[in-house]
Amino acid sequence: MVLSSLTLAVAAAAFGAGCSTIERSRNLNNPAVPAQTLALQVCSICHGVDGNAASPNFPSLAAQQPAYVVEQLTSFRGHNRLDPAGFEYMWGLSRGLTDEQIKGLAAYYASQKSVPPAYRTGNPQRLSDGKEIFERGVPDKNIPACMECHGTDGQGKDNFPRVANQHADYLVKQLNVFQRTDERPEGAVMKVIAHGLTPENIEAVAAYLEAVAAK
Amino acid sequence: MDLARFLGSRALRFALLCVSTASLLSPLAAQAVPAFARQTGQNCVACHAGGNFPDLTPYGRIFKLTGYTIGERALPLSAMAVASYNKTNNTSEVGGLVDVTATYPKDGNVIFSTASLFLAGKVTDNIGGFVQITYNNYDHQNEDSHWVGHTVSDNLDIRYADRLIDPKQDLIFGATMNNNPGVQDPWNSTPAWGYNVVPGSTGPATTPLLAGGLAQNVAGAGAYVYWDRTIYAELSGYATANGVWSFMSHGFNTGRGDQQIVKGTNPYWRLALTREWGPHNAMIGTFGMNTDLYPDANDPSGPTDRFRDIGFDAQYQYLLDPHTVTATATYITEKHIYASTEPAPLDPDGSLGLGLPDTSGSDKLDMFRAKVSYVYQAKYGGSLSFFNVTGSANTALQTAANDPNNPGTVAGEPLGSLNGSPATRGWTAEATWTPLQNARIGLQYTWFNKFNGGTNNYDGFGRNASDNNTLFLYVWGAI
Repeated sequence: MVLSSLTLAVAAAAFGAGCSTIERSRNLNNPAVPAQTLALQVCSICHGVDGNAASPNFPSLAAQQPAYVVEQLTSFRGHNRLDPAGFEYMWGLSRGLTDEQIKGLAAYYASQKSVPPAYRTGNPQRLSDGKEIFERGVPDKNIPACMECHGTDGQGKDNFPRVANQHADYLVKQLNVFQRTDERPEGAVMKVIAHGLTPENIEAVAAYLEAVAAK
Repeated sequence: MDLARFLGSRALRFALLCVSTASLLSPLAAQAVPAFARQTGQNCVACHAGGNFPDLTPYGRIFKLTGYTIGERALPLSAMAVASYNKTNNTSEVGGLVDVTATYPKDGNVIFSTASLFLAGKVTDNIGGFVQITYNNYDHQNEDSHWVGHTVSDNLDIRYADRLIDPKQDLIFGATMNNNPGVQDPWNSTPAWGYNVVPGSTGPATTPLLAGGLAQNVAGAGAYVYWDRTIYAELSGYATANGVWSFMSHGFNTGRGDQQIVKGTNPYWRLALTREWGPHNAMIGTFGMNTDLYPDANDPSGPTDRFRDIGFDAQYQYLLDPHTVTATATYITEKHIYASTEPAPLDPDGSLGLGLPDTSGSDKLDMFRAKVSYVYQAKYGGSLSFFNVTGSANTALQTAANDPNNPGTVAGEPLGSLNGSPATRGWTAEATWTPLQNARIGLQYTWFNKFNGGTNNYDGFGRNASDNNTLFLYVWGAI
């Protein structure tokens, strides 16, 4: 009995193998696998099907600037981005991607609609302080307004990433990476800007951006 | 009923108890697999919560359910080794008649306990597997009292899987072929992955059959679906791993007394409801199995013992770097209906029971386990777990009986029971340090508040439950 059922299972598996399709592949080292397939079969597990990550452990990528996504994936692939939260997950996943697949992934996420995270970790009492920093910077420390580079609605531009609706926890951690380390050399400009931010400044601006209305 | 059948039926629970005791040095557990990390290129923390095997993250669960196929084919080989030190609170002679060194082998010694080889990884875009082969360095003693090693099949899970996903639907479906009911489960509240996973860990002596009692004895096949990362359902069937499927039970056989024979195909089912929100994820579920087991593995014919196991489990995780919390709870209730309630003959070697008739045609055994673990920075961890086994007493399980060297007198059994009850309750606390992602040092202490039906004098010869309290130190490494 078990022999027959197991044999059936093996036969089904062999049959299934014959039916495997490139459109549903999870192979990260096959140039023929479409970027959208990778986005759905692999990236979606952490970043969400539509790029809106449920867990604040992972950044939302919906409506992200394609140039920024290309830059980051290329940076992961080349082992140039060194922050642990990034390389522990992304060096391996990006190592076999082609330039075409990276561009395809960037286009996929750029076309998605961004929504504020349903689960928020930011301190809501700091929203007004965060809005102030985002729109006006911290003048007495010569810290420019975030919106000067990231856009009036935090939507980003070219290599300056979209920060609106990003998880506050992720933003806090990345601002700390910029401020305290050289693990993200592609974002060296942020090291200068983040240098004078206090922990309270960082918490406030992250909380504001997480909750800001999607545009 | 002949003697052999008696040894299999009336004393089955006690035999399982002995097997469980032997499993103090048993290797029936699988660990993190660096071959998977090479396949995905990711660190262990991607799949293992806080880098803490065997706890899986939501990503790790999808990796498993999609047949271990994420990533690119890589060298599918890994190895691991465990060295350990075990110290039982009291190993002194009981009753003056029992050789306790056999009950507490290598107690108080640092030993290289087990080593495993893994064949693990993707085969095609839809097929992948996890096959563990384990060498147990202290398997048994030969006639000269020297320890002899032994190599056995360990956990095995080979899958075919596919995933239909788009913005409107997400359906993972697949088939699994494995050798341990529950080993295919991606949550850590199931017996195969929830408790006592590190080889050598101690716990309750008697547990339901579904809690590892059939591991590497059976071959199973099943199908599963996971819809919208919300509902998981699975149906499998298990039969004896013999014939062409005997590779799944390699190293186990009836002659050694560690191969059980089941009748026909025995159904296993699983249903789980899951949810993820923010850094949280949770699962509530149920699982169960009906097993027809031949009382005598050496004579697989005639009536069978029937085990009906039903489990309920739940898991909660909080994952937000640098904090990782995993909490699990598992309850299994088992009804064991004996093939026969004929009076049993006296046990001639004094080790397998009093030889009285069963007090009923069936027994009940319930097990509750719960565990909370915390890991900081994927490096420093701690956990606390609770276990409580209750069940009906059966005179056939009483061991304060029949000294073989002095017929008509009685002898004690350190892990036996005066009243024939399996009731065991206790706690295990563990601290871990993971200096490298593939090396871990762990220190466990297990307290027994009750053991085999009693707190004091549970064996009838003055042994207390707390005498079994155990300190366990281990070093684990994998490549």
